[in-house]
Amino acid sequence: MKKAVMLAVVGMFMATQGGLALAAGNPDSGPGCGLGHLAFQNYPHQKTIGVQLMEATTNASFGSQTFAISSGTSNCTNDGKFWAEHKVNAFAALNFENLSQDMAQGRGEHLASLATLMGIPATQQSAFFAMTQEKYASLMAAGETSPVALVKALNEAVATHPMLAKASAE
Amino acid sequence: MGFWLQLLGPHGVFRTLPICFLLVLLSWLVPPQGFSGPLGDQSYLSELQDRAASLGLADEREWQVLLHYRRTLLGGVESMQDDPGFFLDLQGKTNPQKELAATLVQFFSDDLVGRSKQPGQCAFVARYHWLQERLQFDGARLPPLPCERFRQWFDEFNAEAISLIFPTGFMNNPSSMFGHTFLRVDGKDQTPQTRILAYTINYAAEVPPDAGIEYVFKGVAGSYPGYFSTIPYYLKVQEYRDIDNRDIWEYRLNLTEQQVTRLLMHTWELGNAYFDYYFFGENCAYHILSLIEAAEPSVHLLDAFPAYTIPVDTVRRLRESGLVGEVISRPSRSTLVRRKRASMTGDERRWLDRLIRNPAGLKEDGFQTLPFDRQAFVLETASDYLLQHSAGAGEEGAPYREKNRSILRARSELKVTPTDLPIQPYVKQPDLGHGTSRFGIGAGWRNQRAFEEVNLRAAYHDLLDPEPGYTPDAQIEIVSVGVRHYHNQSQARVERFGLINITSLAPIDALSQAPSWKFNIGMNTIRYNGCQLCSNGVASGGIGAAMESSLFKREVYFAFAEAEANYSQAYDEHHRIGGGGTVGMLTDLTDRWKLMLSGSYLRYALGDKSEDIRWFAGSRYTLSPNWALRVEYNHRDHDDDVVFSVQAFF
Repeated sequence: MKKAVMLAVVGMFMATQGGLALAAGNPDSGPGCGLGHLAFQNYPHQKTIGVQLMEATTNASFGSQTFAISSGTSNCTNDGKFWAEHKVNAFAALNFENLSQDMAQGRGEHLASLATLMGIPATQQSAFFAMTQEKYASLMAAGETSPVALVKALNEAVATHPMLAKASAE
Repeated sequence: MGFWLQLLGPHGVFRTLPICFLLVLLSWLVPPQGFSGPLGDQSYLSELQDRAASLGLADEREWQVLLHYRRTLLGGVESMQDDPGFFLDLQGKTNPQKELAATLVQFFSDDLVGRSKQPGQCAFVARYHWLQERLQFDGARLPPLPCERFRQWFDEFNAEAISLIFPTGFMNNPSSMFGHTFLRVDGKDQTPQTRILAYTINYAAEVPPDAGIEYVFKGVAGSYPGYFSTIPYYLKVQEYRDIDNRDIWEYRLNLTEQQVTRLLMHTWELGNAYFDYYFFGENCAYHILSLIEAAEPSVHLLDAFPAYTIPVDTVRRLRESGLVGEVISRPSRSTLVRRKRASMTGDERRWLDRLIRNPAGLKEDGFQTLPFDRQAFVLETASDYLLQHSAGAGEEGAPYREKNRSILRARSELKVTPTDLPIQPYVKQPDLGHGTSRFGIGAGWRNQRAFEEVNLRAAYHDLLDPEPGYTPDAQIEIVSVGVRHYHNQSQARVERFGLINITSLAPIDALSQAPSWKFNIGMNTIRYNGCQLCSNGVASGGIGAAMESSLFKREVYFAFAEAEANYSQAYDEHHRIGGGGTVGMLTDLTDRWKLMLSGSYLRYALGDKSEDIRWFAGSRYTLSPNWALRVEYNHRDHDDDVVFSVQAFF
């Protein structure tokens, strides 16, 4: 149990198993939280890390320590809330499975929430949803390496999308 | 280990003590940056203290609520709050006047106080605002501090409203059987589609990660501290909807903007606080109510829960206080799968069952001939099923995740939107269900002897009680007693007593194969070895399986293998221990009328070597949500017992 919780917290940015191996050498794993490196160094059995995150959210210690109210700053949170610059990556990492389902379906609350966090205007979100469904296979290929890479791939896809690029540039 | 400390900062409680200690040392050695010390006009302080005393502010309801004072048996008050840092006076826990005077003192200083290490005005921002409102602080003589940390935290909620979230009962965890409640801060910039981005306000016991079975006992005894935290709602949805498979009910509270602000201010203060967590009394549901009292001190919510707090009762209390607005449900992943599957044609259902075992089947002609929107629907349901089984399943979930990839890749290639199916949760709106306590009065015969009976059950629900609002096929009875008067006897006797009696039936279908189980500790009355009415202590447990059908309305069949120990004067050696089995069924004949039949055979190999054959037939008719009629027939070795009763829930 003790180990599970520790793993879980460090696994915050790696909801996929495959992500960990790459995250170790991947500067995308988030400079502030930067948990990828630590996780990999400390836990050779990385296969179990990401998935144990889910169980850990059920554990009170995880919640009350990471998200404790007026608890001051940590690498990931400020007084119990994610730092703004980590919000998108944290959401992608912590909701990876639900996001992948929403992207394949081209709709869903996790996808809508991610779009909102990414700053996609409401009027453009249906185009964004369609794009994620269209590019599902390549986005997931990125996502399997790490959720951060998924966010990066999504940003690139938005930037090269004729409609979305214009909207998000405005 | 270093990374652990680094990650959690100074506020990890269990493994981070050395760091906390270090920080305390540092704060002594290094002078805080900038100006520190007295603020404003110190002569104004005694003026304010005098005014507060003459107005009797410390006795006002607002102060009592903000400090969590509760009357004691001796006539005084005591705060339920257990962190000394929450009080600014050493006697603050029991002395509201001194605490108020000390709070005013602290407002004239920017020294850092409390666990959150802020100036008094900011650490106790709700106290500050209330006292400022009542005493009309002169800003020139008591300069207000900007409290940037609080401001930033508060602004980020962008709060529009507060919702009370109620994940329904979860039979496979003793601390969750009655459900859980927490608050969600709904932001102005969220839509129903992006509501999962909201932060929650959650109160939970901090249990050491390696706690074993002592967890239950310590939890009951209040040995764990409970803390408040702001876990993102998407994590709570995952926890309850995806991992535990619990239907979630969301109650929007009718609070004004000002009330919402007060609630959040007090929540911020509670970052300095912890309460000893008691599973039954001062639990999650109890302290969530205390936050709502801070939002609106004129409503008395906690008074209704002097001894124990069942989450659904707190919801009911809020509804009675007129605080509940819109109510919506968020069905669990397993509910989604079952409802979607039930809506399918036989052909679609066969494809679903095949694809979740082997996604390669989707390439076959048979599946490809389904209309595209139906293919999409089957694939989405298959994905729901695979997510249901991989969420929180650790490494064992890996095969499901892999299959889900194949299913979703195929789904992404279908550019259609299937028709939306409105999903009804399995647990109907909990606060509209029957009351959690039950009183019954009845009469009957036992072996041709007539009797009258009264019975009382503290909590909560049995398999024959009216089902709306409760987890279907689940029984939890805590502390029940039945007293009878037999016609040829002068005295009444305790016919039966139940400490705890739990049954969880989990119907197995093509998609889910969870075991059913039951557990019972109590006492009943037997006729045995010449003893006509003998008290008999019982401890039993069983594991089994259940299935359901819908031939008539809905039927659930169950079978258990079980072990039982009995203790009674009537037995040779005063006891017997054995095992056996039970089969039975439950059926809804109409919406109001339910029937249960069961038969058991037990053979006792230890102590009084004997065997027992039992039959049970019970029927309930619902008169109204809180009234029901029952007929129950119990047969056991040498005993026949029939009782008619009317039952009231409260």
